[in-house]
Amino acid sequence: MSVQPAEPRVAASGAELSALIVAIATRADREAFGRLFRHFAPRVKSYLVRSGLPANAAEELAQETLLTVWRKAAYFDPTRAAASTWIFTIARNLSIDLKRRERYGDTYKAETHEDEVDETSGETILMTAEREARVRAALAKLSEEQATIVRLSFFQEKPHSQIAQELGIPLGTAKSRVRLALNRLRALLEDLK
Amino acid sequence: MSASTHPGTETLLRYAAGTLPAGPRLLVDVHLDGCPECRATVARLMSVGGALLDTCEPLALAPDALDRALARLDGLSPRRNPAALHHAEAAGAPSPKRWPLPEGLKLPPGVVLPPAIASRRIGRLVPVAPGVRLGLVHLEEDPDAQVLLFRIAPGRAIPQHTHAGLEFTHVICGGFSDPDGHYGPGDLVECDGDVDHSPRVDDDGECICLAAFDGRIRFRGLLGMVTRPFI
Repeated sequence: MSVQPAEPRVAASGAELSALIVAIATRADREAFGRLFRHFAPRVKSYLVRSGLPANAAEELAQETLLTVWRKAAYFDPTRAAASTWIFTIARNLSIDLKRRERYGDTYKAETHEDEVDETSGETILMTAEREARVRAALAKLSEEQATIVRLSFFQEKPHSQIAQELGIPLGTAKSRVRLALNRLRALLEDLK
Repeated sequence: MSASTHPGTETLLRYAAGTLPAGPRLLVDVHLDGCPECRATVARLMSVGGALLDTCEPLALAPDALDRALARLDGLSPRRNPAALHHAEAAGAPSPKRWPLPEGLKLPPGVVLPPAIASRRIGRLVPVAPGVRLGLVHLEEDPDAQVLLFRIAPGRAIPQHTHAGLEFTHVICGGFSDPDGHYGPGDLVECDGDVDHSPRVDDDGECICLAAFDGRIRFRGLLGMVTRPFI
């Protein structure tokens, strides 16, 4: 498994990425898809690997995520969500679906997933692009430790023990630090109102 | 600590991250349906997810990954008509199937099951303690998920059961109190498995509520569940 960065960290601005999705929606632009793929597929794969998927499954799901972006590009509204948030939501839903399939096989087919990317969460409750930028500003205000906690809370299925290990603190302490960090995150996010 | 009637921040974050198990996720869905405040928090947390995705160190895909994806595009045309989405949204999307009310469940006038629950098959409600009936809500997407529908007579205590991890309770109608406060329709209560509290249903009416558990407690069938010691 290669861990070489596939693309420099800052490859494109949010507005440029949004414009690529719009180009797919309006004119089935394969070149735009290629650029979007090169930017997001390695990040989606990285997110999925961190959340515990084996590399090959993460690779497959990253492919699926970007193919879903192609199919559903017309559903993307750049005034309501950043490209990264929209794509995160798609990857999130696909990974929920994958975990379910792994455990129970293919007998259950989520009806809603065919037409809508999501059931009740997801695109319908995403926020405006402006607030997206302010969410990033809020994240930047967290201390380094709090930022680590938020990241691990997002990516790990059992975050408490992972956080305890990574910060070298007992499990009980980790739990209270998580509570503090998430309360601070929430307070910062609520300032965005 | 005063009573919280909303999911905790960590629960909403796990919901946004996609790591909350199916049972609690269903209860959070039900809560979000009626709670604009928590919907807004989840939307912000989804944006946090987007921001974290942006800062993920890219992990290279196989060299031919993009070529394979491009080859697969030929079979997939992008949807052309975004208006179709708005139309579907306006029409409330494809209406999910509704199961008949389970045997043993009567709802007071004007009360309906939340749509996310009405679309699930619920087993017959069986008596498990004096004044307490419960039925199992079947989650096709996770047959092991323990989501229970309780119907409890006025003034009765809600049966306590041993479990590890968080328990989530959502009130559909009626209400109950515990030492922390009072809970009514639309409220979602989270409590730790090791916390000993004795919620008691209001005297003026039945309480119908849902319970789900974080973590995997395996009852052996309905009988195992019924015979599990309720305190």
